[in-house]
Amino acid sequence: MTALLSVSDLRKAYSGVHALDSVSFEVAAGSITGLIGPNGSGKSTAIDCISGFQKLDGGKVVLAGTDITGKPAHLIARAGLMRTFQTVRIYERLSLRDNLAIAAQQFDQATWIDEFFRTRRYRDAVEQSEQRAAELVDLIGLRKYYEIETGILSYGQKKLVALAAALMPHPRIVVLDEPVAGVNPSRIREIEVALQQLNRAGETFLIVEHNVEFITNLCHQVIVLEQGRKLTEGTAAAIHTDARVLEAYLGMTPEMAEAEMRGAA
Amino acid sequence: MKLLLALLGALAFAALPLVTSSNYIIGVGISALIFTVAAAALNLVYGFTGLLSFAQLGFWGIGGYATTLTVMTFGGNFWLGVVYAALLNAALALVIGYPILRTNRHAFVISTLTFALLVALIARDWVTLTRGPLGIPNIPRPQAFGFAFETTPSFYWVAWAFSVATIGFLYALCSSRIGRTLIAIKQNEPLVRAQGISPMPYKLASFAIGAAITGAAGGVFAFHLRVIDPGFLDFYYMQTFLIIVIIGGAGSFWGVIAAGIALSALPEALRFSADFRMIIYGVILVAAMFVMPTGVAGWLRERKIARMRQALQ
Repeated sequence: MTALLSVSDLRKAYSGVHALDSVSFEVAAGSITGLIGPNGSGKSTAIDCISGFQKLDGGKVVLAGTDITGKPAHLIARAGLMRTFQTVRIYERLSLRDNLAIAAQQFDQATWIDEFFRTRRYRDAVEQSEQRAAELVDLIGLRKYYEIETGILSYGQKKLVALAAALMPHPRIVVLDEPVAGVNPSRIREIEVALQQLNRAGETFLIVEHNVEFITNLCHQVIVLEQGRKLTEGTAAAIHTDARVLEAYLGMTPEMAEAEMRGAA
Repeated sequence: MKLLLALLGALAFAALPLVTSSNYIIGVGISALIFTVAAAALNLVYGFTGLLSFAQLGFWGIGGYATTLTVMTFGGNFWLGVVYAALLNAALALVIGYPILRTNRHAFVISTLTFALLVALIARDWVTLTRGPLGIPNIPRPQAFGFAFETTPSFYWVAWAFSVATIGFLYALCSSRIGRTLIAIKQNEPLVRAQGISPMPYKLASFAIGAAITGAAGGVFAFHLRVIDPGFLDFYYMQTFLIIVIIGGAGSFWGVIAAGIALSALPEALRFSADFRMIIYGVILVAAMFVMPTGVAGWLRERKIARMRQALQ
């Protein structure tokens, strides 16, 4: 597999504190890659820098062969990187239909002139967008809420809306910032299944998450950050038994982790 | 449905001079039409885009003076004057909007307020152009194809045509994808950016279009009053526009139009007590905000959402 997103030597400091200290990693096309680490390890800073929501101090970000380093967020989105946010961001006073339509509208060719005259180009764009929205609404199981303001949905459902919106324009890569934090545990499994289904259909994901079980079940490759540095990376299984990761991230020794695994089984 | 109602409403309004011969009532009708346009323009800027702009008052005043001066000083006609007023305001809005839209919400509000105060100051102190506090009296009625809109009822048609055209344009804008994008920017700007949309051109366009329409409305209003002086920049006008938008429901297109028509009669009704007008206004506003914090349209909308929520359970 080739690298779809390649991040090299990413650096970012807040008043002298290194939030990111020369972090490099790659996300393979068609993979689900996890980015984990304890609080303050720089995960969120990393994806904010990659997606253009924070200025980076140094390094290089390449998406599908295009250098997107330091570009404004909306241009990075247009290049094919869509993201969600840790504190869920949706348009709470618009319907689910409008939430999804807005997410896709920048990516079709229809201009306001097309819209005014209802040209074929406009009608095709709307039809395609609605088709895609219908697929995604079924995937996240919120069909009956389609015409309703998203503000009334539960927190977990809002996260699903944010996920669906990010998928609307068929992006090259979707970056999810804590997709299951605060979500009812019974729903986490549903999200897992949905992401796997999308991934099998060819979608690439980079996921920042605290929930280790979720990451382990889902990710092909996991990158571990600690205090702004890359601690290690590898397959989910390898990470789960890596002594350094357990100590840094879970505060456990391998023996304790093994005992916990036995307990869980 | 809403459009049909709006069309019927517009036609009913066109008939006003046919049912009354009172120049006073027709005059109130003219004010109602023009204030509604100015309020609809503020609704675009504030209600849709989320930019609380007090600069509207300045644009209103510039529009009034620009149209008047076009006729009285520069030998143009009323129609050209209104177009100049709109273009001048749009250009000004782009120039001041470009820097101040980059500041935060509070700084933006203060900057627009300062702009309005500055325009009032210029109207008073640039005596060679505006005649200062003396004002410019005897503004002639407009003419077209040899016909002079000399009487109040005939000028009413001018105001009516102007309102229908601008409100129609604003409706087309607000109900399009552009309008939807403006609402999205107001609700969640970072998300808009994450979806590939740069908010700045939208905000700037909204601010400039709002300025142009407010200015044109000011121009028509000056020709209704037939006199313009620095009182044209009284804060009372800004207050009226804002009250219409807030009570109608910021961000609700037809709510604001309906409130504009209904509330424009109010200042006329309150005219009996010039001293207490502002206080009465304030009391009405605060009372309305207690009962319906999101305006009439917001209040109706909440009822609708509650029904939908119930239907789902």
